[in-house]
Amino acid sequence: MSDDTDLHHPVDLAALADSARADPALFESRSVEPVFARRVLATPLHMNVAAESRTNLWTDWNGYTVAEVLSDIEDEYRVLRHAAALADISPLFKYRISGREAAAFLARFAAGDISALRVDGTLPVVFCEDRGFVVGDGLLFRLGDDEYRLVTEEPHLAWLLDSAIGFAVQVEDVSSTLAAISLQGPLSARILSAANFAGVETLAPHAARWFDVAAQPVYVSRTALSGDAGYELWVDPEDASHIWSLLLAHGAPFGLAATGFALREIARVEAGRARAGRDYFGAFSAVEPESASTPFELGLAGLVDLDRGHFTGRNALRAAKSAPLRHTFSMLAIDWPEPLSFIGIHAGADMAGVATSTAFSWSLGKNLALAMLKPEFLDKPRKLHIEAEMRHGFEVRRVIVPARLVSGPAPMGPKP
Amino acid sequence: MQRHDVIVIGGGLNGLTAAACLARAGADVLLLERNAGFGVAAGYDVAPGFRMPRYSLGTSTLPARLVADLELTRHGLRLLRVDGGVSLLAGGAYQASYRDGIVHRRELARVSPKDADAWTRYRRDMLAAAARLRPLLSRRMSDPSKRSIANIRRLLGAADAFASIGATELHELTRLWTLSAADFLSDYFVSEEVKSHLAAAVLSGATFGPFAPGSARLLLQPFMEETGAASAGAPAAVLALGGPEAVAAAFVAAIVAHGGTVRTEAEVTDIILRRDEARGVSLANGEEIYARAILSDLDLKRTFLTLFPWKELPSGLVKRVGRFRLRGVTAKINIALDAAPLFPDVPEGCPALLGVTRLAGSLDEMDRALDDWRDRMPPRAPLIEALVPSLVDRSLAPEGKHVMSVCVHGVPEILHDGPWTGARRDELAELAVKRIAERSPGFRDRILALDTLVPPDIEAEVGLTSGDFAQGEETLDQMFFNRPFASLSGHETPIRNFYLCSASGHPGSLAPGGAGADAAKLVAEALGKRGIYVPA
Ligand SMILES: Cc1cc2nc3c(=O)[nH]c(=O)nc-3n(C[C@H](O)[C@H](O)[C@H](O)COP(=O)(O)OP(=O)(O)OC[C@H]3O[C@@H](n4cnc5c(N)ncnc54)[C@H](O)[C@@H]3O)c2cc1C
Repeated sequence: MSDDTDLHHPVDLAALADSARADPALFESRSVEPVFARRVLATPLHMNVAAESRTNLWTDWNGYTVAEVLSDIEDEYRVLRHAAALADISPLFKYRISGREAAAFLARFAAGDISALRVDGTLPVVFCEDRGFVVGDGLLFRLGDDEYRLVTEEPHLAWLLDSAIGFAVQVEDVSSTLAAISLQGPLSARILSAANFAGVETLAPHAARWFDVAAQPVYVSRTALSGDAGYELWVDPEDASHIWSLLLAHGAPFGLAATGFALREIARVEAGRARAGRDYFGAFSAVEPESASTPFELGLAGLVDLDRGHFTGRNALRAAKSAPLRHTFSMLAIDWPEPLSFIGIHAGADMAGVATSTAFSWSLGKNLALAMLKPEFLDKPRKLHIEAEMRHGFEVRRVIVPARLVSGPAPMGPKP
Repeated sequence: MQRHDVIVIGGGLNGLTAAACLARAGADVLLLERNAGFGVAAGYDVAPGFRMPRYSLGTSTLPARLVADLELTRHGLRLLRVDGGVSLLAGGAYQASYRDGIVHRRELARVSPKDADAWTRYRRDMLAAAARLRPLLSRRMSDPSKRSIANIRRLLGAADAFASIGATELHELTRLWTLSAADFLSDYFVSEEVKSHLAAAVLSGATFGPFAPGSARLLLQPFMEETGAASAGAPAAVLALGGPEAVAAAFVAAIVAHGGTVRTEAEVTDIILRRDEARGVSLANGEEIYARAILSDLDLKRTFLTLFPWKELPSGLVKRVGRFRLRGVTAKINIALDAAPLFPDVPEGCPALLGVTRLAGSLDEMDRALDDWRDRMPPRAPLIEALVPSLVDRSLAPEGKHVMSVCVHGVPEILHDGPWTGARRDELAELAVKRIAERSPGFRDRILALDTLVPPDIEAEVGLTSGDFAQGEETLDQMFFNRPFASLSGHETPIRNFYLCSASGHPGSLAPGGAGADAAKLVAEALGKRGIYVPA
């Protein structure tokens, strides 16, 4: 007995799934090693990063070992804000979407208008399911007329393939065939120039293009998780190590240093960017509909265009736009000169929401929190506060500190 | 004259749960168990020094809530959580279940990268459906046609639980109760291996195959436990240190600690009746013991057809009870092994081998096996589950040696051409050994001792009619307020002071121990009303 619906389906679903040419043991060159042998895999840059580590502190990002902190988090932060910070961001998921109808497919897939995306451009996108709940978000690259790349925090192959049914497109998981390096900070352009990325200073924000560096092709995008002064480099895994060394060597005179995941998280919080799986649950992970979010609830209304043609979730989002928000993603600043740890956001005796990511910003001298707040605490602003517990010997001291809503990203940028 | 507040007849999981809950609530409880061991949890030596569960496979399905409420860890229970098992599939293929989300993902990606992603959505839908179903399981069901205030309130409660479900979710829930497991899985997964693996893990004891409409709801089973969400990968398999008999021992310790009494090798033969009211029980040795409430942990048929003189029962009841379907599907094979079995298809050291290893076959094969069962054919390619508990619990077998607990499913209670005989049992055991040996070289030579129990053997020894796992086939006509049947749902019976606390009542096997806990609550309320004690 076989599934009838599949038999009579115009598209061979199994073949479509097979067209996803993903290497399951990402980066581990189809090793003979069984899946349970190693919980956390190494990226192509692992040895290079390890060589820079003075702390031997590691963390797990999407099942890959990445450095947590390489030297000292304050030093790394200073490097990011005043020189340039190098980081291995290979564990991101990358999908290649190509074919005659790639643009049409993505117009259906993403909630925003992608028609303005030119070749060698990039565009942040959010994509929803039929109920209008966010499945994920990511950065969309246009590599050619019919070729795109979507970079996301969480895996989305199944949803991409299911959505692609009926379109003349091919979707591939290329996570394994693409290493990624981030170079952030005010001096990053000068370092790239010094490392022979000829003409990099002409690269406009959000644009990308190919460079030939020491006979190796590198795709460089002027994109950054935080603010504007940064680049991301997309390279073959075999070339990654060489490019990394090149940047380190040419960057040293400028104060470049390798940095870890902890710094990336701080920069992300300062930029007010939600991370899937941490600050919000994708629609396919959220067990209860209450814990899924519309783009409006995540502050991503700018990535939704209800006035263009049909896209997945459009009808639901039309309704959601005028409906009251169930929760709102917001940024809070907490004036306290030391890093604090807390989860709850309080308003008097009420629980106003939950802090999903927190960070101490040395530039601002404040704690920042990304939080999911109940909207009633935004409408008529009430005094919000957080409660942190601090240990002194066997005593617990509770500090109550006011939390202030911040609109838009924290004013960071190259200036201190 | 011996007198107690409560007598519980039978020390299966539900009887033990009911007794422990009532003892904790302050009642003076006496539990009477016919055998030396407790229900299917009983352990024995398959060979000297080789200890194993005689009837059950040996995994534990004890709800975490019950363990916590009854403080079973304080009473000696130790649970081990291991990875969720391996299916050996056609052509040397295998699929394993891991608790770790990332490892589980990579395992699925081995056969289909798309299915690896689909797991996220599958897990979400299963956890959500389980969360919707759970409140209905801890709710006492009652005959919808009876119109007492309490009844109406109860029904409204059940309706409320449904009404709070949004349209989309209700649609999802309906799909689970109407679709076949195969169709349902195809909504998420493309790989035949993945589908077979997920189906095989829930088909143990089922009387219908993966293509039967409604079989999709079986897929919920691994997610029903509240702690099912604890792992991002597959839910863990749980083993009790010392095996199921250690679980029973912890229950007994809890009962005794709360002042209750547990007697084994005490068979109840009759209920003592005075004017439609149960007053006590008589034992096989002629003893008579009295109590204010009597709970039966025996299955429905055994309860009414063996403990009462039929003419004393309300007219029609005997006939209705007779129509209740109990159907055995499982044979148990207990094996002592000279060395750990090898499964070369699975990479060495695979932690999922600590859970249940299944000889699964394809969805088609699993479906055909149950067709055979319906025709009362001896199985040809049955679903076989094997657990080697001594891999994690070294106390069960001598150093370096092991016990293997095997369940063969799709085994009819009576064969089409006659009853089970010694020779037919041997044929069944030979088939199981042959099938295992096909995937485990050298298996046959490692066998030191082997016992085979077919459903009638289990019935004869444990008193479980037809050797039915669930104490009553679980099809919608025998579930929820139809369990065991409408006029008898809700644990109360037409005999005053006499209650049914076994899995023949709601929620059956959907919530292990659930029937015992619910019946205990009902009895505690009834006794409390009569001022016997104040329930905690
Ligand atoms: C072959 C098989 C394997 C199983 N494997 C597992 C497993 O691995 N893990 C798991 O969690 N569940 C397993 N189960 C299911 C589990 O056994 C059920 O949850 C259980 O049968 C239901 O418990 P119960 O308390 O309702 O009844 P039972 O377990 O049937 O308990 C009834 C008890 O009453 C006693 N009794 C019978 N007649 C009398 C009498 N006249 N007087 C006094 N006492 C009497 C019996 O000896 C028995 O102890 C298995 C079941 C079977 C049949």
